[in-house]
Amino acid sequence: MRIQVRRTGGFAGIDRHAEVDTSGRPDAQEWQSLAERAFASGRGTPPVGVPDGFSYQITVDGKTVYCADPRLTEEQRKLISRVLKEGA
Amino acid sequence: MTTNGGFEPVFCTVVPPHVLDKLARNDDPALSGPARRTLMRDSELRGKRRVTTEFALAAAPTAKAPSDQPLRTVYDAEHRTALPGTKVRGEGEDPGQDATVNRAFSGLGATFELFLKAYGRHSIDGDGLPLDATVHYDENYNNAFWNGEQMVFGDGDGEIFLDFTIPIDVIGHELAHGVTQYTANLTYYGQPGALNESMSDVFGALIKQYTLGQTAAEADWLIGAGLLAPSVTGKALRSMKEPGSAYDDDVLGKDPQPATMDDYVRTGRDNGGVHINSGIPNHAFYLAATQLGGHAWEKAGQIWYDVLTGGELTDRAFFTDFAKLTVKAARERYGDGGEELQAVEKAWEQVGVRIL
Repeated sequence: MRIQVRRTGGFAGIDRHAEVDTSGRPDAQEWQSLAERAFASGRGTPPVGVPDGFSYQITVDGKTVYCADPRLTEEQRKLISRVLKEGA
Repeated sequence: MTTNGGFEPVFCTVVPPHVLDKLARNDDPALSGPARRTLMRDSELRGKRRVTTEFALAAAPTAKAPSDQPLRTVYDAEHRTALPGTKVRGEGEDPGQDATVNRAFSGLGATFELFLKAYGRHSIDGDGLPLDATVHYDENYNNAFWNGEQMVFGDGDGEIFLDFTIPIDVIGHELAHGVTQYTANLTYYGQPGALNESMSDVFGALIKQYTLGQTAAEADWLIGAGLLAPSVTGKALRSMKEPGSAYDDDVLGKDPQPATMDDYVRTGRDNGGVHINSGIPNHAFYLAATQLGGHAWEKAGQIWYDVLTGGELTDRAFFTDFAKLTVKAARERYGDGGEELQAVEKAWEQVGVRIL
């Protein structure tokens, strides 16, 4: 499973992008389960965010959903921070 | 003043949300603006209905004149994301040990004071709205935002950004989003969104200058000075004096702000480049303020404030609409043929925004 996260907006207006390919990873099952739950609660179109809030695109195997601060689910928040931190 | 050839789409609540969502993302603000507002109003109303039903409350009429003193509360999210978090300092309470809490509290006070002393405005809504801020939001959180009701500040990750309460202009910037919300309510997308951002940078910078007692010539005109971690190559996040020059770093990239319409950036990201193209109206304000000299909040700031709060600026205004209104405001407040009018006209001409 290929998990990509793109973050745009924020006070600084600086984009960040990272991705994780779970194939061959010992924790692949955990990543996939987290990604599926985060994806399921995403929206098909970008929600109207708040001033200076981050907007996110979560792409799993080519399909994209959207979400924005401060209204993220726990799974979305966890997935986003893990991908941006550990992803390449 | 019409910017879309008189085309006025009508939206009501029978439009399905997914259609509104699609329209809200349209590159043409004439389409996206009304859809976005409808979506926002919907969610606001739903929230209000829920609250009034659950608590059997109705808005009480405020008969009393608002106080000249702020009503500040700072909360600590304790590195989690629930808002507002635990109350850590209220109005009239002494400073504690946490410098972040103390900075947020002081910043709220400085913002309240500028709007009151310079423009006679009582708080964000002009009616004494309590000022709430939450600090230590999430872990290593590289951002600060206004959620429609309060300010939220992250601690930064220490690698790229430090604590977002460090620059007083960042605190002022977030509160100014509240002022815009209660006045022109500029749609947070495309040109109106960049104007919304620019209002926050302008009043954020003025709060810093007012606090330091600086003239336009003395000010650094930087947004977010002191926010970048020591390893980052840059002086701030934005420069109103020289948009595009704030940072140039291996990790952050280069400051993408244009100073003039020739370099206007068309993009769908960042809500249509709201933090990018704000460089253009930001630079116009800097040019007008430095041309006039003295304290920037007195003349240039007054003209900008007049337009933001005057009722003629629509929520879908483009740069040219805003610019024309500043020319009108300069003429009305300071007279025809005055240096104020000339300075404002020249500033917009220099950044390439049409005022005729």
